[in-house]
Amino acid sequence: MSDFEQTAAEARSLIAQAPHAAELERLRIHYLGARGVLVPPDFSQLAPDERQAAGRAYNLAKRSLQESLAGRLDELRRRRLADLADSERIDVTLPGQPPRLGRLHVLTVVQREIETIMERMGYQVEIGPEVETDWYNFEALNLPRGHASRDMQETFFLNRSETLVLRTHTSPMQIRTMLKHGEPPIYAAMPGRVYRQEATDASHLAQFMQVEALAVDVGITVGDLKGTVQYFSQSLWDEERRVRFRPSYFPYTEPSFEFDVSCLVCGGRGCRSCGGDGWLEAGGCGMVHPAVLRNGNIDPERYSGFAWGFGIERIAMLKYGVEDLRLFYENDHRFLEQF
Amino acid sequence: MRVSFQWLSELAGIEDLTPQEAAQTLTMAGWTVEELRLIDLSQIRVGRIISQEPHPASKKPLWVHMVDLGDEQRQIVAGAANAVVGSLVPVALPGTTVPSGVKVRDANIAGFEARGMLCSQAELELSDEHDGIMLLDSGEPGQPLSAIVPSDAILEVEVTPNRPDCLCHLGLARELAAARGRRLKHDFMPLFTGGIEPPGTDLVSIAIEDPRFCRRYIGAVVSDIRVGPSPQWLQRRLRAVGVRPISNVVDITNYVALEYGQPLHAFDLDRLGARRIGVREAREGEHLLCLDGQDRQLGPDSFVITDGDQPVALAGLIGGAETAVQVGTTQILLEAANFEGIAVRGMSRRLKLRTEASVRLEKNISPELALAGARRAAGLLQEVCGAKVHTSWAEAYPRPQEPVPVRFRPERIDAILGLHVPLEEMEAILDRLGFQVRVETEGEWYVLPPVFRLDVTSVQDVAEEVGRIYGYDNVPATLPGRRRSSWRAATPSVERRLDPCRQALAGAGFDEVVTPALVAAEMLRRLGLDGRALRMVNPLSDDQDTLRTSLLPSLLKVAQLQQKHGRQASRLFEIGRAYLRSRGDSEEPEEQPDEPQLLGVLSTGHEGADAARKAFYELKGGLERAVNALAPARLRFERAEDRLYHPGRTARILSGREAIGCIGELHPTTSQAFGLPGRAVAAQLEIAPLLELDSTRKVKALPRYPAVTRDLAVVVPLDLEAATLAGAIRSKGGELLTDAAAFDDYRGSQVTEGRKSVAFALTFRSPERTLTDEEVDSRLEQIRATLSKRFEASFRD
Ligand SMILES: [Zn+2]
Repeated sequence: MSDFEQTAAEARSLIAQAPHAAELERLRIHYLGARGVLVPPDFSQLAPDERQAAGRAYNLAKRSLQESLAGRLDELRRRRLADLADSERIDVTLPGQPPRLGRLHVLTVVQREIETIMERMGYQVEIGPEVETDWYNFEALNLPRGHASRDMQETFFLNRSETLVLRTHTSPMQIRTMLKHGEPPIYAAMPGRVYRQEATDASHLAQFMQVEALAVDVGITVGDLKGTVQYFSQSLWDEERRVRFRPSYFPYTEPSFEFDVSCLVCGGRGCRSCGGDGWLEAGGCGMVHPAVLRNGNIDPERYSGFAWGFGIERIAMLKYGVEDLRLFYENDHRFLEQF
Repeated sequence: MRVSFQWLSELAGIEDLTPQEAAQTLTMAGWTVEELRLIDLSQIRVGRIISQEPHPASKKPLWVHMVDLGDEQRQIVAGAANAVVGSLVPVALPGTTVPSGVKVRDANIAGFEARGMLCSQAELELSDEHDGIMLLDSGEPGQPLSAIVPSDAILEVEVTPNRPDCLCHLGLARELAAARGRRLKHDFMPLFTGGIEPPGTDLVSIAIEDPRFCRRYIGAVVSDIRVGPSPQWLQRRLRAVGVRPISNVVDITNYVALEYGQPLHAFDLDRLGARRIGVREAREGEHLLCLDGQDRQLGPDSFVITDGDQPVALAGLIGGAETAVQVGTTQILLEAANFEGIAVRGMSRRLKLRTEASVRLEKNISPELALAGARRAAGLLQEVCGAKVHTSWAEAYPRPQEPVPVRFRPERIDAILGLHVPLEEMEAILDRLGFQVRVETEGEWYVLPPVFRLDVTSVQDVAEEVGRIYGYDNVPATLPGRRRSSWRAATPSVERRLDPCRQALAGAGFDEVVTPALVAAEMLRRLGLDGRALRMVNPLSDDQDTLRTSLLPSLLKVAQLQQKHGRQASRLFEIGRAYLRSRGDSEEPEEQPDEPQLLGVLSTGHEGADAARKAFYELKGGLERAVNALAPARLRFERAEDRLYHPGRTARILSGREAIGCIGELHPTTSQAFGLPGRAVAAQLEIAPLLELDSTRKVKALPRYPAVTRDLAVVVPLDLEAATLAGAIRSKGGELLTDAAAFDDYRGSQVTEGRKSVAFALTFRSPERTLTDEEVDSRLEQIRATLSKRFEASFRD
């Protein structure tokens, strides 16, 4: 056995036992490096007939070392991959650790959802003042001073002459929008806060949010109002939703209606949520009263319109099964975190 | 309005209708039935008491009865003693549920079997009377009780304020009949016959001082009254709708109000000394002892009925005690009057008194009803009390009601409803509701509403009548819109434009909150935020009597609540309005206030100065990110002072040259005022200036040549701010310096006392070539030289 072969055999056995790539690299440098153990034969010291054999033996030994290095490296790599299941196992059932993210308030989410449907129907979203004048909040809407209908809306006053009020509904925006836009067609949606001087409990708030929608155009009918409310309700809930119009009274619309949607829980068969009749009260609506159109500078002989409105919290309550209105404004994190 | 189904269906002339069907029909015609209570008396039997013994063993007083039920006798124990031998009583047998909801079972009461229950009126829902067993004045043992007392149902009907004509059984019966396709048999104006002499006008006179207030006053004189209890049927009907029977005369006035909707009042004529009835404003200092026992102070804003000059009743509200009908009254003056609704409503609100009369009169019922009501009452007084009514009633009717016809082409109705209603159907509906329809030339309709309907004055009103009786379910659903050649481009709402800002803050870990705009004036005052606060004249309570002027207290209150419920550190934001009294306004505002929309951000629960300092920069970074989501603009921050904030850790926020808000660590006293442990940082700024920023974004081409970066640690006096240094660095760095960002602020042992080290990351880049180290270093040298000279800066490696 040549020296080369002996060195190679010794190296190969070390390579075969090398536990990791770093050790292999050390062995490579030790044997094959520029100052390594395995060096080419010094041909000057050899007889010419020995030179060929010595050269071959060196090459053979060098190649065998290179092969076993590569082989061992490959083996180690394969073994490591095969071992992953055990060596790097984690407990996938431990809780996730989300980045610290905040949330949007549920009323923002619901309001935007409502606005999106309105905008899809071609309505422009408008906002306006919450401290209103008596004229916009009442007079212009056919609610003269002293009129018994004003009792329908308990009012906060900001001065003793009662000329400044916290708006009791979003309907003053009907007038503001008509005056702002001028000539119809007008299709507008007006969300915002409104105020009632009423004691607060699980189903009443002194301040809450409404959305009002107004359409003024040529030849608008009760049928158009019905279709619009139905389209909206089906978009907000689902295609199964049916809408019912009950005749009612608002001084600023004629005819006026309350609209109900078929119960979200029982689908209309009757259950506890809907009080057994299969319908849930959803909002009020009607054809804009000619006097209101005139106050908005619109000729009721040429144009007609409809208006409809509802409470945003009510929609959110129905949607998420919230049973106490006050939760929306308390902002308890245990409530907010559920959205 | 509480309605007896039995009374209603009798007036409507409809027998084949269940209470449920009636409720459904009324609801869909515009009379929402909010509650329906069935009073089924067919399961209750009539029993006769055979014997009554006191219970020997019970501590409570109990009586053991033997009751004859026709085909059997039963032993029944009761707590009341009023059913004596021979009494006829309602008996509920085991297994039945009485109308009040009690289920009757076989029981053993202290050794005595009780095989049924003797019922009180309350248990049968016939009245609120629950003391004592109900005693019947007729009936045979074993009969169903419904043979004696008809079964009924009580409907709670919502009557809208435009329809005071339906605050009565007759009005609703007309609606029910019309919606079921029938016309009411009952005529609106009852006939009255059989008056006696002398004429009433000889006995009393009526003079109205202010015809604007009193629209009509009828005073009928009735003689030979014998005051006593009303007959059972009348008492039963009153009880059914929650009115306690008092005496036949009073009961009849109440009955007619519930039937016709016309309030009536009866004076004892013998107690009217002058017999000259007037209506006038009350005078300062006048008062009246009213029927309810209250002595009310009056003034010129109230109207009184007078006898001679003496007030005897509050007009439209309540009668006086001294002229009231009582036992022994033999002659009455029956008042049927009509007063101006607004004035009645005003009086009712000022005196805090709502009566059956005021709720009707304040809604402006027709003055024609007065005569109908008076005639109906006169008829009942004759029939029920055997009284005699005098002819020629005294009356004042200064402004007789004018008919208000509506003229329109019937196609208008179709155009409003979006539905074709056949003409004959339309006419039939109007007829059933009491309207007169006349077709005039060229197809125009002349429609005269019934006298009791003052709410119908336009074609829209008529369309509503047709629509609700024809049925809105029949109106096809359509969508509006037509061909257009012009339109307005849609623009996103303000709220929607702010959504990227909300998203950015949520992404930075802040929860959005929505808080009430009504807050406590006292809280604003303590925080010094009440300068331009608007206070309500009629608040509900002290803790929500004022409109907020800042979002900060609202956010702090939320943090306080969250802390109470276990969250130690809250990160919150709100986009909402503040309300600031118009600058020109005094304490009594006249103008609409400013309602600036604000963004408020709050981060609480930071322990120690270092944590709070870190939180400050986090909040500042979050805020900049949120603003950048709206527009690619930079906010500027300048040291500032504000009494709510930490004196050394507060900045004014500027957009361009405009100060738009404030950011800082809160002053310890501010967070302590809300009981918050730890430190808090907050910011508040106005939204409107941000929405005016140019939001267009133009993308820069990506750089083609590599950047060279250098860190520069500048040691300067403590009060020198990074922004000043950055400004100097930028101006000296020239075009090649593309960024100079401060990334560290070090104070400590490595630098001299009184100084700090601010580290900047400088980025140099040329758009045209790769910069060499030499040119960057020489530029850096110039920067150092400037900083040394201007700020006595030294440099760390
Ligand atoms: Zn249901």
